Amino acid sequence: MALFIYGTAENTGKGFFTAEDRRNFFLRGFPGDVWVIGNNEKGALWLAEKNGVEKTKAEAQAIVDAEVAKAQAAYDALPEDQKNRPGFNQRPTAITLP
Amino acid sequence: MTTYNQLAGYRVNYLGSDPTLNTGNEGQVWYNSTTGTLRSLVQIKAWSAAGNISTAKAYVAGFGTQTAGLGAGGYASVPLRPSTVKATEEYSGYTWAAGGNLNSNRETANNGGFGTQTAGAITASYNSFAPSGIVSITEKYDGTSWTAGNSIGTARYATAAAGTQTAGLLFGGNATPGTVGATEKYDGTTWTSTGSLNQAKAYLGGSGTQTAALAFGGKLSSTFSGTESFNGTTWTTVNNMGTARYSLAGGGIQTNTLAFGGRTSTANLSSTEQYDGTTWLSVSSMATARGNLGGAGGSGSATIAFAGYTGTAYSALTEEFNSTIFSPATGAWASGGNLNTARQVTAGAGTQTAGVVMGGRNPGTPTLSLAVTENYNGTSWTNSGNMNQLRQGAAASNSGTQTAAITFGGVSPGPTLYANNESYNGSTWTNLTALPAARAGHAGTGTQTAALGFGGYTTAPGIQNTTLAWNGTAWTSGGNLNTARKYLRGFGTQTASLAISGTAVPGRTTATESYNGTTWTSITGVNTARDFAAAAGIQTAGLFFGGSNPTATAETESWDGTSWVTVPSMATARTYLAGCGNQTLALGTGGSAALANTEEWTGTPTTATASTLTTS
Repeated sequence: MALFIYGTAENTGKGFFTAEDRRNFFLRGFPGDVWVIGNNEKGALWLAEKNGVEKTKAEAQAIVDAEVAKAQAAYDALPEDQKNRPGFNQRPTAITLP
Repeated sequence: MTTYNQLAGYRVNYLGSDPTLNTGNEGQVWYNSTTGTLRSLVQIKAWSAAGNISTAKAYVAGFGTQTAGLGAGGYASVPLRPSTVKATEEYSGYTWAAGGNLNSNRETANNGGFGTQTAGAITASYNSFAPSGIVSITEKYDGTSWTAGNSIGTARYATAAAGTQTAGLLFGGNATPGTVGATEKYDGTTWTSTGSLNQAKAYLGGSGTQTAALAFGGKLSSTFSGTESFNGTTWTTVNNMGTARYSLAGGGIQTNTLAFGGRTSTANLSSTEQYDGTTWLSVSSMATARGNLGGAGGSGSATIAFAGYTGTAYSALTEEFNSTIFSPATGAWASGGNLNTARQVTAGAGTQTAGVVMGGRNPGTPTLSLAVTENYNGTSWTNSGNMNQLRQGAAASNSGTQTAAITFGGVSPGPTLYANNESYNGSTWTNLTALPAARAGHAGTGTQTAALGFGGYTTAPGIQNTTLAWNGTAWTSGGNLNTARKYLRGFGTQTASLAISGTAVPGRTTATESYNGTTWTSITGVNTARDFAAAAGIQTAGLFFGGSNPTATAETESWDGTSWVTVPSMATARTYLAGCGNQTLALGTGGSAALANTEEWTGTPTTATASTLTTS
């Protein structure tokens, strides 16, 4: 059985996931409203309750990659003096889903 | 049918509710008839790494406690030896600092010290520097300097000692000639003979008091595991240790002693044994095997091991032994209300149900930097009055409240550094006396009228170790951080703060420092170095979360005043976020590529907790 379920769901704020949810299953959020969810009954139920859309890992990774590419393009469009400032403005880096 | 009581000699209590947990127990098991669950709690005994002494050495005398220990004399490699034979180092529970120098050279001091860090004594040492030989003179330490006193009756070294500066005990050791079991009592001035050990031996371990001491291990022609118990007059042979060893260290009282390290004829040891007044039990081993080490501990449940010889090198390592049923803080992050304006590089103050975030940066806004402020009510964020100065990378008085906070410093996308200081009353911002110099990437703690800013960077000379204190009217200089750094975080008050992690030279640092209103002291570092994280809490109980190293992390660490423990991560890895609240109820919001979402931490403090046993 796969370790994770992949899906997209909009984070609606307070109550979107609870402390109890966090204890019941693994949950990590990524750009593009992508969520990696522990593959158990409660994790699957959570995605359904949040009107989420289940994705394959490849589909989820593609969404994240697109978001990262968009952020990198926005960074690249910045004036040089802002790009080179230490610390505050670092070029977004690729993210690999677990 | 055979019952558990018949097999183990104990009954499992049948209780209507969980009992008051007893930290003196090895563990507890009971059946909770209300919840229908079998419950348990197990004591944890373990060594952990602590601050190193300044010079790697062995044959050092150690005494005092785990949080106020002393190491005196010792033997180092040739270039360093002249500086170690008289050196004293004091342990604070975190770090070692230089104390007053001994009057006599004491190369082989071993277990010849007793008492406390501010009222100690040392005797019975050996010195190979001219004039070489046994050093029988007793020296007394007052926390600052050593004063020479009377000599012991039987000249010897490689002894063991116990007791206090005014009620000490010295036993065993190598004399000239031979090895002795002689025992002497010290009253703070004079040494008097009393009953000898049954077995003459040297390089032994000792613990306890003048009237209730323990002698264990040691060496004559062979290595001993034998243990003797002293009642103030005579020694009685009791149960042996599990492993025969010499050149070991020990600490504690007669009924709770820890023996650790040492040597057999062929190897240095890391193994540890604990004596409960009757029996030695093997417990968790040190990480580094060594002999001729120092030890200090007023209790067998809280001891330090330091220095020693590993078989290949002198060691500067210190390890702390703790025996506790306390379990680390834990908890979980849940989603909170979303910010109206997504942002990064922002600052926060207040509590989980009454928080405030101010400024920051949003790549989608024309100005990039923000002045907008939002208040949180535990459910949702509401826009409030704008700051007078657009900025990011500022610090806030993060122990301030939603209706009384300040924010100071920061930077524009330009980049122009700011010295601006503004006060917030829950709805509007008012300009105050600016910082003496513009800075950004610093940390802020304290309140609206008693704040602290430290670290960060300025135009010149750049990365800072300086501290500034705000009294509601003006800024004054405080003590300097030991590690200059930027993009760090902190929590606490103006007179009791912590500086946490950040970017130093040459890179991210785990360094954590504690401030007392005057001086920063290095203490236990975080587990994962990172910058642009968030922090919340007070000096003795806090939370450190998010940040980057080098990519955004969701990692969360909880601080209990002594150590950092990794606890459950945030749901979304994020850097450049804002945080507020405390160790058990914190808020993390914004961050990374301008997030709007918020997470709320609900934790449990460091406390004794019980687990429910299952069949799986």
